[in-house]
Amino acid sequence: MRWRHTGFACLILALAPIAAATEEAGVSVRDAWVREAPPGVSMMAGYMVLQNKTSRPQVLVAARSPGFETVMIHRTIAKEGMTGMEHAPQVELLPKASLVFAPGGYHLMLLNPKRTLHAGDRVDITLEFRGGLVLAVAYAVRK
Amino acid sequence: MEKVSLKFSIMLTAVVLAAMLAGVWLAAAYRENGSRAILLPDQVMTLFPAPKPLAAFAFKDHENRVFDLSRLKGKWSFLFFGYTHCPDICPTTLATLARAHENIAKSSAGAKDVQFVFISVDPDRDTVGKLRQYVTYFDTGFLGVTGDNAQLGNLAAQLGAVYQLAITPGMENYPVYHTAAVFLVDPRARYHAVFAPPLDAEGISRRFEVLRELEGPKAT
Repeated sequence: MRWRHTGFACLILALAPIAAATEEAGVSVRDAWVREAPPGVSMMAGYMVLQNKTSRPQVLVAARSPGFETVMIHRTIAKEGMTGMEHAPQVELLPKASLVFAPGGYHLMLLNPKRTLHAGDRVDITLEFRGGLVLAVAYAVRK
Repeated sequence: MEKVSLKFSIMLTAVVLAAMLAGVWLAAAYRENGSRAILLPDQVMTLFPAPKPLAAFAFKDHENRVFDLSRLKGKWSFLFFGYTHCPDICPTTLATLARAHENIAKSSAGAKDVQFVFISVDPDRDTVGKLRQYVTYFDTGFLGVTGDNAQLGNLAAQLGAVYQLAITPGMENYPVYHTAAVFLVDPRARYHAVFAPPLDAEGISRRFEVLRELEGPKAT
């Protein structure tokens, strides 16, 4: 984006998809899903497997979605015999390693969906990494 | 070649014989112990040597009926503490328990003598109507119960469960911390075993079916 002022806007626009594709190849996301909420429940969770294909750490710093009022990175933790959630301000992916967001561990806490989501629906969530990498991911809603 | 293969078959025969002898010995040992021993030791289910009789408590269920100690008698009860505003561990556990229930229902002894009870530790937000919608979503046979803090504390303490509501003024979605284990109460209303997370449906149903078979005549 900062190249724009050099005046090669057209060229950059033409190259942008290529740049995005290259960057996206750095971190991949698979098995992205959101658990369908029971009726009357406005608190949901999203899960996925993140894979850092690069040889340097990648840090997930935020997640956003037009489908929910709030999206936060959370982790289910156990302490003093109890299980609870804590907010994880950032999650580091080690070089050439996978990180699993799964029930009982890391998850995206999804609060107040804009519309009721049912199994079979898809919902878009954007993952933002330190350094500007942004991944738009479609999460499958399932039971 | 023939020599090697002869040597090999002798070795194989010896190994098979040893394995058979070990099997016979183990089977005999289990029979002698009568035998909860086959369920011990186990990381999934902790079985208590002396099941602990539970004392009186009083909740309301999701149909607004009284849910007290008498409702635990005559059935095996799986109890889980949680709250409906819980995005991760509660729905995960209830979905797992629904699958365990399905497995048990398919077993030869069936699931007529089994009930699953979700105990909400968040009675302010989890009204009877809300509990009904919530538990029946996972399994139409599930029960949802709750009560006042004294009663919740009472049953939790008897089972060694703990919970804590992190209520912050002005915060609508306060978090709740709670024990994530599943407690098994036998048909005589005694705390009999506990399943520790991470839970899986087959792990629970298989162990339960063995336990029920062993304990059936004694526990009812």
